[in-house]
Amino acid sequence: MRNFNSYILPTIVIFFYFFLYIPIFILILFSFNDNPFTCTWTSFTWQWYYDLFASVEIWHALRNSLIIAVASVALSLMIGINFIFFGTHQFVQRTLFLFYGSLAMPEIVLAVGLLSFFSFFSIPLGTTTLIVGHTLLGLGYVVPILQGRFVELDKGLMEASYDLGATQRQTFFYVVMPLLMPALITAGLLVFIISLDDFIISFFCSGASVQTLPLYIFAVIRTGASPMINALSTVMLVFSSCLVLLFSFLHVKKTRMPK
Amino acid sequence: MKIKKNIKNFFAEYASFIFSVPAILWQVLFLYAPFLLVLYTSFKSDDSNISITLSNYITMLSSPYFYIIARSIFIATGVTFLCLLCGYPVAYFLAITVHRRWKNYLLFLLTLPFWTNFLIQIYSWIFILDYNGLINMLLLKTGLIQNPLPMINNIGAIFFVMLYYYLPFMIMPLYSILEKIQQDVLEASMDLGATHWQTFKYITIPLSMSGIKTGIFLVFVPSFGEFVIPSIVGGAHHMFVGSLVSHYFLVVQDKQLGSAFTIVSGLVLIICILFLHWLCSFPFRKIVRKRIVK
Repeated sequence: MRNFNSYILPTIVIFFYFFLYIPIFILILFSFNDNPFTCTWTSFTWQWYYDLFASVEIWHALRNSLIIAVASVALSLMIGINFIFFGTHQFVQRTLFLFYGSLAMPEIVLAVGLLSFFSFFSIPLGTTTLIVGHTLLGLGYVVPILQGRFVELDKGLMEASYDLGATQRQTFFYVVMPLLMPALITAGLLVFIISLDDFIISFFCSGASVQTLPLYIFAVIRTGASPMINALSTVMLVFSSCLVLLFSFLHVKKTRMPK
Repeated sequence: MKIKKNIKNFFAEYASFIFSVPAILWQVLFLYAPFLLVLYTSFKSDDSNISITLSNYITMLSSPYFYIIARSIFIATGVTFLCLLCGYPVAYFLAITVHRRWKNYLLFLLTLPFWTNFLIQIYSWIFILDYNGLINMLLLKTGLIQNPLPMINNIGAIFFVMLYYYLPFMIMPLYSILEKIQQDVLEASMDLGATHWQTFKYITIPLSMSGIKTGIFLVFVPSFGEFVIPSIVGGAHHMFVGSLVSHYFLVVQDKQLGSAFTIVSGLVLIICILFLHWLCSFPFRKIVRKRIVK
């Protein structure tokens, strides 16, 4: 067992990380490959990056994705925090289980349900329907995260605020919001990433007019991939790792502050 | 004046309630109402009269498509089991064995691929596994094989890519539970003469059971309804629940049959989850019972 802990287990873990990262490294490497059709290395090129930045379709898709992501983050945070702060009634507390439904169902059931719902009321599919769907997904994460933080908060602070003559609104904006800020940022970032990444709901509820980034990538992969996708993945990878690094840096700073 | 004041009072009294309602409304309107609509549609017949019929279910149960549900269960169970088998050592290492200094870096590296687009993660495996992909290219160049190996467009590729994609979903909950286990408990067990293996079997596993359950849930549910991975790396022949649902709704636009199929597969999924849940609590119960009997 000592052998297992000091040799075999680390080997397994190293192998696991290798497995996790090999495709990513290869993608990055071959995004600089001159030969577009095979995996043979010919020569170094920036061409796919030029193509990527010149492509109108990708930028259009990215813009749509960003609009939808920002809107669903804003909506789900707003609705979520109102629910958490004001929903202290016994009755409202009992409805908390409703928010686990979107996590418990496979996403495809959600997507099919939304599609039937929109077509039943003949609501045209487009950006709005996507925002609705992504907000639904987001609420499933926002409400449990915020609820968890809100329960841990010292309720004495809020009572003190009321005692000192603050209205409910003032307490909400000046006491509760700042205290919940870390949880709000975490939840917001999570919803943002989930919305940018989401394919299934977008695939069902986007209609013909709106194309998001995942839908574009899917279409390109299905029709025979171009090396531009390699370049796109590299850019997205660099972008998201910067975001995660920045986020963890902020987080570390924040937790160290009280000392 | 009085009415205005009444309205104001009304709002003051119910304001808190009113602000909390949108969240509930959103869930009910866009999650549960659509679900009921799907349920209703599954009982409707083709011609759009109101009457309720079981014909969709009968058509569906007699069609060979029912077999697809079994296949989805098979692949979801396999993927979940393999994820647990491969993920547990990694989570154990991250939570208990590794030195604190390396832990944060390893965790960061674990979550990083998770933040990239999942289509890209899948695509990168096509790039490697394809007929003229990287592995075949290397093997052909070195002369180990004469013809490219068929590594893609089969059930093995689906299995492999699903395992790759869902592993972090298993590791994260396992890690967060294993990390909470106090080292003292493990040390106490060793002090009392238990071997490493006994400690692992009787202390670590039962204590991490809730993490195992969450992990199974997080992997089993989405992999049951998965249709992106099969449609990208699985070729045209391998239909799963997700692919068939999207086929019914988006290609042939047969909502009645599609809804019936969705409902039936949802029920099967629930039964499977309950069964897995029961299975997970089994070892724990057995140990407790042993204690009581002794």
